[in-house]
Amino acid sequence: MKEYKEKIFKSLITIGAILSSILVLLVFFYILKESIPFFREVQIKEYLFGDTWSPLGTEKYSFLPMILATLYVSFLAIFIATPLGVGCALFLSFHVNKKYTKILLSFIDMIAGIPSVIFGFVGLIILVKFLENNLNMATGESVLAGGMLLAVMLFPYIVTGCTETFEKGKMKYYTASLSLGVSKWYTMRKVMLPFGANSIFVNMLLAFSRAMGETMAVMMVTGNSPIFPRLLGRAETIPSLIALEMGTSTYKSIHYSSLYAAGLILIIIILIIQFIAHKINKIGSR
Amino acid sequence: MKKFNVLGIFLILLMVLAGCSTEKPAAAEPNAAPAETPVVEEPKEDEFNPQILFNGSSTLAPVMASISTNFIEGNVTWDKVDASFPEKNIAIYVSAGGSGQGVKSVIDQTSDFGMVARTVKDTEKEQLPELKEFKVGIDALTLGVNPNNPVLTVKNNLTKDEIIKIFSGEFKTWKDLDASLPDKEIIVVTRDIGGGAHEVFQSKVMGDVQVKADAIQAPSMGALVTKIIENEYAIGYASFGVVNQNIGKVTTLSVDGVEASEENIINGSYIIQRPLIAIFNGELTAPQQAFMDYVMSEEGLAVVESMGFVPVK
Repeated sequence: MKEYKEKIFKSLITIGAILSSILVLLVFFYILKESIPFFREVQIKEYLFGDTWSPLGTEKYSFLPMILATLYVSFLAIFIATPLGVGCALFLSFHVNKKYTKILLSFIDMIAGIPSVIFGFVGLIILVKFLENNLNMATGESVLAGGMLLAVMLFPYIVTGCTETFEKGKMKYYTASLSLGVSKWYTMRKVMLPFGANSIFVNMLLAFSRAMGETMAVMMVTGNSPIFPRLLGRAETIPSLIALEMGTSTYKSIHYSSLYAAGLILIIIILIIQFIAHKINKIGSR
Repeated sequence: MKKFNVLGIFLILLMVLAGCSTEKPAAAEPNAAPAETPVVEEPKEDEFNPQILFNGSSTLAPVMASISTNFIEGNVTWDKVDASFPEKNIAIYVSAGGSGQGVKSVIDQTSDFGMVARTVKDTEKEQLPELKEFKVGIDALTLGVNPNNPVLTVKNNLTKDEIIKIFSGEFKTWKDLDASLPDKEIIVVTRDIGGGAHEVFQSKVMGDVQVKADAIQAPSMGALVTKIIENEYAIGYASFGVVNQNIGKVTTLSVDGVEASEENIINGSYIIQRPLIAIFNGELTAPQQAFMDYVMSEEGLAVVESMGFVPVK
């Protein structure tokens, strides 16, 4: 009887695993299939190294401004979120009573649960307005606004990941370190940070790939101009490009296909980052 | 504990299956419609489809949703609409995704009606051999500025040439437009360049000239108007309907001396306008015809007007 049950259970989970991996492959191949007409029609020189995106007017298809904008906004977000997140994780691991750590962490996790359109709305009304008033900008929509907003959204991911690592490190070295008479601050700087360096970096990479895919919030505060990004200038990320133009592109046109191609490029960049993160994680855990 | 695990897996599987089953009728249902046609003399009651699906333009979607809500609340079941229909609950689903998607969904048969806020292109017509168009109303694009914009102290009219120069980036600051205006950047706000609204603006005003690349692309008409309300130096083509919903917060400029009024839009002298159309491919079934009759009736057109668009009578 028990054996029978186990067999059913085993086959169920196998079906689940197969179904979900097929789903991933299906999505990937569908995007690939839909983007093939674009890759046939447009040369690599144009879509990776051109400078103009104008699918309907002059029919120039260059993803370069969007790729750069996506990387720029995401880098900026990581740059802001990492020091804050690591600091917060250290604070939670070493300065707060364990009971409160859990409560605080659940609050930080809640940030991750806020729908991104809410972030976008707050960003549009408060952040963009703030930049307009304080930086003497003609209009506040900018890479900076997108980066700052994304940093808030990435914050919980970095905090949660790093806290986990520091808790591990605490168990391993903290008592030993204290019994040597070393101060708490010294332990944090010279023991915990080097111990967690690998994991912090992996967390950064994962948060980075999440940042690259964020659509709604970024779309609402960056202005969506397909030009080369500057810190205080407008920019358009790949997800915003797809979200803005997919609904209205003519079915099966090159424009339509080009948006799938943009999606494919985004997936490839993210896969490369995930691959690197995986490799580093492996080296670190050895 | 193990039992719970098994139970959990079953539950998840059930949910997955449930997800499949709700999706299937939606996908299979439009396919059923063409299958109906060869069997002419069969009793139709068995195949009566109480569902109508709309998909397309985000401008037209709220109008259709509102009309269908009135229709459903007024009748509840189909037999109230027409005594020959069976007693089934009326179900009309409206989803927005842009004019292009509206056409695509009719070609793919994932929806019955497509909503399009522009004229249907020839390339699209080729894929829709039995196209039927229902013109529900007209939407005009007005040139909206913030009421505090200094340009209003100088002029309340822009010529087509001036508009082209502003939107193409030839006039960078308001000073370029008129020497007495401040040296502030003109913030041009547009909808997405592939969208129905932009297409109308491009063909009616810009011609072959491209809009400058560093214009802000707003993801919706609401966002575009919000930007104008928030920024004193912004200018954009705001939908006539949305402007009417924000009277006092957005001021419109005349184009070539023609004011964007309802009268001028209907008689065609105000040029930046676009039709709001529901499209259908093939023969309408009786309930679909009944609903479209309601849309084109006085009651339906009153909703079009209350949403700020110009109904076609």
